[in-house]
Amino acid sequence: MDIIPEDGLEETQEEVKDLEEKLNGIQLETISVTVIKQPAIDKPDFSEYPESYKENTNKEKLILAYAENFRRQYVHLFRDRKPLFLNPLNECGIEKFVCTTLRPTLLPFKELYHWLGCAEFVSDYITMDQLDPPAELPLQLHSPSTILERQLGNCFDFSNILCSLLLGAGYDAYVVSGYATKEVCLSDESRDICPLLNTKPEVKKEEDKKAAGKYSVKPPRDLRSKFIIKMEARRKKEEEDQKDKERMEEEARVAELEKPPPDLLYGLRIHSWVLIRGGKREVPEDFFIEPFTGRSYSPQNQSFLGIESIWNHNNYWANMQDCSNGCKDMSFDLNDTTKWEYMLVGADRSTLDIPNVEEELYDLEDDEKDNEDDKHLDMPAPWVRPINVTEKQNETRCPSGKKTILYKKAKLEKYSNYLMKDGLVKRLSVYENNELTTLKKVQEWFGNREDKLTMRLHEGGVVTEDFVEGRQRSLKQHVYKANFPGSETDRTMTFYDNARVDGLSKRDESAIEMTEHFINRDDFLYYRHVLFDKRQKKVAPATAEGLPRPILKITEKFHRNKELPANDDIAEQMFILSEDKVQITYHREDANISASTRDFFKPPNAEEKGGNLQWAPDMTSTFQVNQHKLPTKNLTVYEDLIRLIQVEQSSIQAVRNSEEEVREILADRQKEEIASELAISVYDTERNEKAKKHRKELERLAMEEKLRRQEMEMDYLAPFLAQIGNPEKISRNQAFKLKEDCLSDLKQRLIDKANLIQLRFERETSELHKKQLEYQQKQVVMTKEDEEQYFNYCSEAMFRIHILELRLNRHKQMAPHKYMQLEQKLRQDPRLSVYF
Amino acid sequence: MSRLYDTVEPAVVDDEMLKKAVEEQGPKDEAGRIAKQEGIDYWDVLSLRLDFRNILKIDNLWQFKELTKLQLDNNIIEKIEGLDALVNLRWLDLSFNNIEVIEGLNHLSKLEDLTLFNNRISRLENMDSLSALHVLSLGNNKVNQLDNLIYLRRFQNLRTLNLSGNPVCEDPGYKLFTVAYLSHLVYLDFRLIDEETRQKAHSLYENKLGELMHNEQQARSALLEEKRKAKELESHKEAYVEFLNGPNLFDAMYKEDPEGNKLSMLPGIQDILKEFREKFVDFCYKIFEYGTKEYDRRSHEVKEFNSCMDDAKHENKKMATEHIDKFENYKKKLFSELLTSNDPDIQEQKVSEYNSEVSQLWDTVMGFEMQLVDQLEETIKDFERNLTDMMSQFVEHVQGLISQLRDLENVHNEKLLEMCMLVLEKVVKNEMSEELPEDLRMLFVDKDTIVNAIGASHDVHLVKIDNREDEIVTRSSGWISSLMQSIHRAECLRNRQRVIEISNFVEHLRDEIDSFDLSEVVRA
Repeated sequence: MDIIPEDGLEETQEEVKDLEEKLNGIQLETISVTVIKQPAIDKPDFSEYPESYKENTNKEKLILAYAENFRRQYVHLFRDRKPLFLNPLNECGIEKFVCTTLRPTLLPFKELYHWLGCAEFVSDYITMDQLDPPAELPLQLHSPSTILERQLGNCFDFSNILCSLLLGAGYDAYVVSGYATKEVCLSDESRDICPLLNTKPEVKKEEDKKAAGKYSVKPPRDLRSKFIIKMEARRKKEEEDQKDKERMEEEARVAELEKPPPDLLYGLRIHSWVLIRGGKREVPEDFFIEPFTGRSYSPQNQSFLGIESIWNHNNYWANMQDCSNGCKDMSFDLNDTTKWEYMLVGADRSTLDIPNVEEELYDLEDDEKDNEDDKHLDMPAPWVRPINVTEKQNETRCPSGKKTILYKKAKLEKYSNYLMKDGLVKRLSVYENNELTTLKKVQEWFGNREDKLTMRLHEGGVVTEDFVEGRQRSLKQHVYKANFPGSETDRTMTFYDNARVDGLSKRDESAIEMTEHFINRDDFLYYRHVLFDKRQKKVAPATAEGLPRPILKITEKFHRNKELPANDDIAEQMFILSEDKVQITYHREDANISASTRDFFKPPNAEEKGGNLQWAPDMTSTFQVNQHKLPTKNLTVYEDLIRLIQVEQSSIQAVRNSEEEVREILADRQKEEIASELAISVYDTERNEKAKKHRKELERLAMEEKLRRQEMEMDYLAPFLAQIGNPEKISRNQAFKLKEDCLSDLKQRLIDKANLIQLRFERETSELHKKQLEYQQKQVVMTKEDEEQYFNYCSEAMFRIHILELRLNRHKQMAPHKYMQLEQKLRQDPRLSVYF
Repeated sequence: MSRLYDTVEPAVVDDEMLKKAVEEQGPKDEAGRIAKQEGIDYWDVLSLRLDFRNILKIDNLWQFKELTKLQLDNNIIEKIEGLDALVNLRWLDLSFNNIEVIEGLNHLSKLEDLTLFNNRISRLENMDSLSALHVLSLGNNKVNQLDNLIYLRRFQNLRTLNLSGNPVCEDPGYKLFTVAYLSHLVYLDFRLIDEETRQKAHSLYENKLGELMHNEQQARSALLEEKRKAKELESHKEAYVEFLNGPNLFDAMYKEDPEGNKLSMLPGIQDILKEFREKFVDFCYKIFEYGTKEYDRRSHEVKEFNSCMDDAKHENKKMATEHIDKFENYKKKLFSELLTSNDPDIQEQKVSEYNSEVSQLWDTVMGFEMQLVDQLEETIKDFERNLTDMMSQFVEHVQGLISQLRDLENVHNEKLLEMCMLVLEKVVKNEMSEELPEDLRMLFVDKDTIVNAIGASHDVHLVKIDNREDEIVTRSSGWISSLMQSIHRAECLRNRQRVIEISNFVEHLRDEIDSFDLSEVVRA
């Protein structure tokens, strides 16, 4: 073969490569198989785990044998496929079947009843740990309770817990073992747009045009040239096409730039996620939940590259479908045996159909037969401890209550409730660039704020603050410029109009203008616009509150009041204060296109004269639409004028009140921002200090009451009564004797006690005396330590003696009192009092 | 009753008295001065007081159409009269007069408060139309019948009643009776009716009250039924097929037909007659059904037409008002600019610009109106055509049905003739088994008589049918022409008014700039 050595060389090299590849493949398999059998013990102390963690029941052994059989057959039949994730070790190093690690649990939290809440909880609560190496199945699968304790787990642990919660909430959920892209496996979302920014484009409601009636008038004839219109349309279309094209190119370019670098292990990275099949809980179709991020994906998503097997708490299925095209074309019809190979027979019946009642009855009879006919092995009960999440854990969520997620050009920080002093729970920062250096906007969400603030948005120097209902002035939204927080500057306040007496819904302000919008007012007012003049510059700098801005013009608009004829119903009244003029426009009659107007020219200082205004015909000018109608009488016009003068005053007052309100709101906001207090619900026993104190107080009182009652119940006469045999009635003699005995007994005891103290005192003193003597004798030969010991003893003995002395004195003092007390009590005792 | 004024001549409400009263009670101060200068129209007056004037006769009040409150107390009025024009009256005081009978109040349906205190009334009556009555004061009168109080049950809104000082109050059962029968009352004789009295009264009169209520209920439902029927008939009339849903036409045929009635006595004819009647009524019912169906179609058509017209007008109005609003804004801006600028050249220029804008506005708005006129005219034409088609179709169909009626009549006539001939033969031969009534036998004297009689009956029947047909045809065509006429007239009126409005408005706009200019000049 020397003639073409190079070719030969190449050939052999290829052969070698081929062989190597094959060998590699084999090796991988053997390694993983052996690995499963190696008991890897990293934590020798299992004493805290219950029995079920440390050994297998017979049934579990049986199922493990089943699984082993399944695995063997599988390996035999599909030599080139990766091993299945069937029976990993648990935290005590015992083999457990994966299905028994699932424990369907419904936790007592409202938000965990929905899959979104579950997914969010799992992704927040547990810190993610990547598989190592990323292309191999993990050796261990921990029980959910262990993971919840550690708050750290890999993708399989995540899916395991999430699936348990979802099954508990009634979803048709499965754990999926498969392959995904690097981004998904590492929970790297920095190439995704933040879901909070992904606002759906508002669906424009197509105004259902009234069907043209039979007698709808024909539109006027269009006299424009059709050709020109056509040419114009064509030109526009071309322009748009051009723009579209450019945009597409631009987008493609950006996408190319942002494409992730090629991944060496593409398609090999093992990942685990959750599948929810449609049907239960009104889920319309199958979808995936990625447990690290808690986001849902459609099965068509390109991030999920393949599936090896799926399982729930009832059964285990191995995938028989080709995954070279991702999960795009996969069918999740688990009853189709050509696509899914099940492990246990007949375990998944419940997932199939909704049994109707009659059938069920029939089934009941049938069931026994079935069971006798072919006894299938069903799944053993889960070996894991119940999943338990406390209120506090649910609230704290992320380890230490904080979590930061990076998205494309955005950063999301999450905080648990009450963690931050100002009640911050979420902060989304959006940046101009991918390096997250130039800030574009910051959106912050708050929870449990005393001032009802829920959201604050900083964007382009404009601050938007949202409030929930319940503030004092029913503020809903406040938009202002960050640089000019003071009053009389550009701002927009939106209000909850149905909570306000004046029905104010919105107030726009600028330095010289103020516009107010109202809704549902009894006086039909819906709009008021005020034009201010600049303040006159005084010599001294005028204080903001001192002099109000002079008003140039007030415009008020009204809705139609159906009770009045349109010609008398004011549509708009304009007070031009600078010219002492009032302009009124009335509503239009249904048939008319023009509106009547009337102008008043006020004499100067009209408001001071009140009702005694002198009338002159040139004070008004009128345009009346309907010329056939009699002109309005002077009397009515005069009365109108008088009324308008009053209305003007009240409008001015309303404007001033509005200004005042704005100032008050701003002052309130400033105060609140400084205080930033958090509201604590009265039902929150953990945080509500006052309630806690109150409860403690109640407990203490109850305790005292109990003690007192115990004391009351101690009967000092009982032993003496017992002596005379507990008679029903006590005779006079007996009573005297009882009293005597009782008192003498107390006396005796008091004396005894005094004696006892005396005795101890004497013993202590004599002891001390002895020690002193001893010390004096041995003083010369004593070591320093002994000496020390002696001094210590002395001081202690002295202390004891002193105490005994005090006690004796006190006893001597108290004894007569006690004696008297007992005597008193005996006198008042219901059993004896008859005789005293 | 007012002894004080016995010496004074009894008065009649006259113009002078009214003028004085109105002036006295009118506005005060500056407003009063203006009012005096201008004169107060009686139809603007809302409240009038005519007390202590020794009035005997109420008169001359017909001009006070808007009056809501009228005080005529402390006079010597004996008869309530002359109040028929005061339809807006809510508050009427006739206390301290000499009225004996309640009357003349039938037009005051808005009356809420009526005071007839201290009069000589002995009976509650003639107040049926005062459905809004809220307060009724009848103290110090001569009402003596307890049962008469049941009359007040018809006032659903009556809450306050005063009867103290009447003979009826001396009846021991008066209070409980009143409370029981007038359960809506809240105050009786100046006192609030407490719950205890109410319950006592209720338990006492429960049975009688129940009966009364039952009767009232029945009367009410009968009234409703009647109203419903009247309404139905009205709609049938509009469909031109009234009474065709029964044997009405058939009965009418025989009603004015003495021969026919006589002939119906013939033995053996009953069956034929019955069959004929059944068939006839059946056809009538067909006509009726068809008629109502067509009527529904027609009214739907009219409704659609009207709504489309309204839409078109509304749309047009919107366009016009948009332009006018735009112009108003422009005007305001221009006027303020004129005020600030002092240069006469610029002012001149502005004014001419304004004038051209006004002309343009006139053009546009007038253009809209012309467009609307064209559109409406076309639509109205369409509508007329369709409606005429529909109607002629209806008439043709009905005529077809009626000719079928006629055929029925003919067939019946032949049968009758045949039968009569047989009977005649028998009578002539004296083979008649049963006896015929006298007047019927009179017809069977010879062939001519009987044929004539039958012919006469037939003619009467045919005339009835023809008349009905004619009625339907004339009425339907009359309806169309009157409807179209009214539509045309309304459209014409609308157009004229709009044109007048536009020119009026534009003129006003031109006036405005002129007067503005003038004032400028004056100021300058």
